[in-house]
Amino acid sequence: MSECIVITSGKGGVGKTTTTANLGVALARGGAKVAVLDADIGLRNLDVILGLENRIVYDLVHVIEGECRLKQALIRDKRADTLYLLPAAQTRDKNAVTPAQMRELITQMKAEFDFVLIDCPAGIEQGFKNAIAGADRAIIVTTPEVSAIRDADRIIGMVEAAELPEPELIINRVRPRMVASGDMMNKEDILEILAIPLLGIVPDHEDVIVTANKGMPAAFDDESIVGEAYRRIGRRIKGEKDVPEMVFNHDTGFWATLKRWMGLAPSREVAG
Amino acid sequence: MREILKRLFGGDTRPSKDDAKQRLKFLLIHDQVDLTPGQLEQMKAEIMEVISRYVEVEDDHGTEFKLAREDGHVALVSSIPVRRVVERQAS
Repeated sequence: MSECIVITSGKGGVGKTTTTANLGVALARGGAKVAVLDADIGLRNLDVILGLENRIVYDLVHVIEGECRLKQALIRDKRADTLYLLPAAQTRDKNAVTPAQMRELITQMKAEFDFVLIDCPAGIEQGFKNAIAGADRAIIVTTPEVSAIRDADRIIGMVEAAELPEPELIINRVRPRMVASGDMMNKEDILEILAIPLLGIVPDHEDVIVTANKGMPAAFDDESIVGEAYRRIGRRIKGEKDVPEMVFNHDTGFWATLKRWMGLAPSREVAG
Repeated sequence: MREILKRLFGGDTRPSKDDAKQRLKFLLIHDQVDLTPGQLEQMKAEIMEVISRYVEVEDDHGTEFKLAREDGHVALVSSIPVRRVVERQAS
């Protein structure tokens, strides 16, 4: 049975597009046939994160307006045989598409793919409404900051109002060292406030910037800790139980060890 | 470094994430229930008026009215110490 999942956050800049790209790669490498759809019409970026920007001929609006067939617009990622991108239009705006048209497009795509992942635009207006219209479930991306969590809470309410099942959470850009020192909210703090199930946490790591520079998502890299975090989230999305939590080590230097020994710093591991 | 020194010498021992959490909880309650402090006070006064028709309330001492959030839902939590039941007058 195929599923359409919207990746959303409310606030911009928390890593929706990076998350969509990495989950697409992770699910495809796990053997599923996956399409990632950029719903951010006018401000497309998923193509860039995936490194497929030079291969765009047609986009989502062309398909919806009947200027080309779905198959002509889909771009196959040659690095993962079963991953396809449907890019957003760059020269149109969010009002070029209606929720009913999105639902029709998603139905058509679900016939071809195991998973359709939608990269939702920031905000709560038309673009958001279009992006959730055809979705079967929602993933909320947040970072451990007051503003991002506040917006996540608002979006959770809107997802529930749209009668989608309870959304699941990804906490992005976690800094284990700051969590350990009490200067960043940990996953328990965030789950206490948002009260939805956790899919996983992703560490704030230089890998994300390097991979974005190259157009090669971390989930392709077997050595990357960020890639591993996304691969485990991918397994949880597919319904695999008991996927082990990631353990992020930080600061094992002399002073940190001494401070821990003196009881000035809490334990050095953060799991998620 | 200044933060670490402050913590070492017992100045500000409260981790900043506690500030974040407290501010968030307050924000989310007020995002959900759009009541101004003035409206909250007025509601409290009107509720107290109704309650005092039936029971005698310790005047203001220890009465508490606040909005709290649990599992995504906002609740009005109040604690009102009662001295005794008001004698009902025949009407």
